[in-house]
Amino acid sequence: MTISGEFIAFMGLALVAIIGGVLLLNLTKVVHMVVALIFTFVAIAGVFVLLSAEFVAVVQILVYAGSITIIMLFGIMLTKHDDEGETTTGKWRKVFIFLGVVGFAVAVYIGIYDFNVVQVPTDLHVDNTMKIGEALYSKWVIPFEVTSVLLLVALVGSIILAKKDQDQKEGDKE
Amino acid sequence: MVEELLHSSPGIANFGIFFLLGAVLLLIVLGFVTYGILAERKVMGYMQLRHGPNRVGGKWGLLQTVADVLKLLLKEDIIPKAADKPLFILAPVVAFAPSFMVLATIPFTDKFQFADIGVGLLYYIAVSGLTVFGMVLGGWASNNKYALLGGMRAAAQMISYEIPLVMSVLGIILLTGSLNLNDIVEQQENVWFILLQPVAFVVFFIASIAELNRTPFDLPEAENELVAGYHVEYSGFRWAFFMLAEYVYLFAMSALITVIFLGGWLPLFDFLSFIPGAVWFSVKFSAVVFVYIWLRSTLPRFRVDRLMEFGWKVLFPVALANIFLTALIKTLFF
Repeated sequence: MTISGEFIAFMGLALVAIIGGVLLLNLTKVVHMVVALIFTFVAIAGVFVLLSAEFVAVVQILVYAGSITIIMLFGIMLTKHDDEGETTTGKWRKVFIFLGVVGFAVAVYIGIYDFNVVQVPTDLHVDNTMKIGEALYSKWVIPFEVTSVLLLVALVGSIILAKKDQDQKEGDKE
Repeated sequence: MVEELLHSSPGIANFGIFFLLGAVLLLIVLGFVTYGILAERKVMGYMQLRHGPNRVGGKWGLLQTVADVLKLLLKEDIIPKAADKPLFILAPVVAFAPSFMVLATIPFTDKFQFADIGVGLLYYIAVSGLTVFGMVLGGWASNNKYALLGGMRAAAQMISYEIPLVMSVLGIILLTGSLNLNDIVEQQENVWFILLQPVAFVVFFIASIAELNRTPFDLPEAENELVAGYHVEYSGFRWAFFMLAEYVYLFAMSALITVIFLGGWLPLFDFLSFIPGAVWFSVKFSAVVFVYIWLRSTLPRFRVDRLMEFGWKVLFPVALANIFLTALIKTLFF
């Protein structure tokens, strides 16, 4: 294995992503967890850039790091935000979990080490935004439209839920 | 020159050159921020029949901002006892870093650009959206009611106005057929997009003021309601970082408007093309910055309940209608 710039960049991003994930599980304050999650999302976007999937990378930042985490932050701040997670695991359980993790790591290592990836020279990275657009609107147009209908349903549903609350409150006042 | 560098094979030397160029850009931006703040105070002063800073550094107050920054650096670094310490320290960094990252993709002239990304325009909008975390986290970590309110307002406002911002540029993307900022500039060879897409320009400009948290949309830091908003507990260098992020965004947003609406480095008329592109860019850029300052000193602040209504019920439908109209015109006439 040669150490190239790409390798260093990948190691850095992968480390940030994994450390973010581990911190997400281990931190006790919920707001800190969301911050760890942001780091993971941004690092994953960086990995997409390394794969020259720039459009997916930008969408990753825009949707996951940008909108979803903000919604989570809002949710946390508007609800019971001082809650701290408690650890209720016993000693033996931790040992078994550790063994399980080691076993999984070994299995994945054995599985991946000799895995023969057939390198196909592709030009997918050229104009990939345009290609994604073309694929979405020609080959995958029905799933794409169905997804948008699904989102619309979710939007209308959330409006109805919010509206109902308001009506009840007004009813209480009277 | 940069073009060759971008396509050369990576190595230590290459990394060093880019590092140096990045440092140079940082210095340029810091220079802009220094004199941008001075210009803002001067212009606002004259608009309000005052003189503005005129003591430090000669008649024009040329060293006023330098003195202010020095004072900030010498100030005591206060972290409130009840604050969430790690987040309190992290927040200014999170707020500033994206503001400098977005500059990488902006083509200042046809030769001076750091990254020629295919999705440049989207990159700018996505990365600039990360700054809001700095504001929310700063407001949250301060453990102060005013700061928290300011942070929440900043988040709500920036998310709401990001949507009309993106929607308004979709018209331009439709006309160009590309998200690349270089392509967008080259498309404006004959006529600037401000003439082809006037509605988009107006929507974009209003939404960009809201994104920059400037008057009339400076609700996150409305002094009379929230003291100073999300950075009320910050002092010294950390506060300076929030301020710096704000002015670097002013730089970036003005540059972006120059690029996508005013033809970037292209000359106004063909016979004026002997003037170098950098001069054209800076003239247009300065004009945009001036308009921002002008609006700040002439318009009163929005009321908080009107803000969301205006964003969702006025700007958003107008932007959607503009997309529809553009698509219609494009299929019929182009």
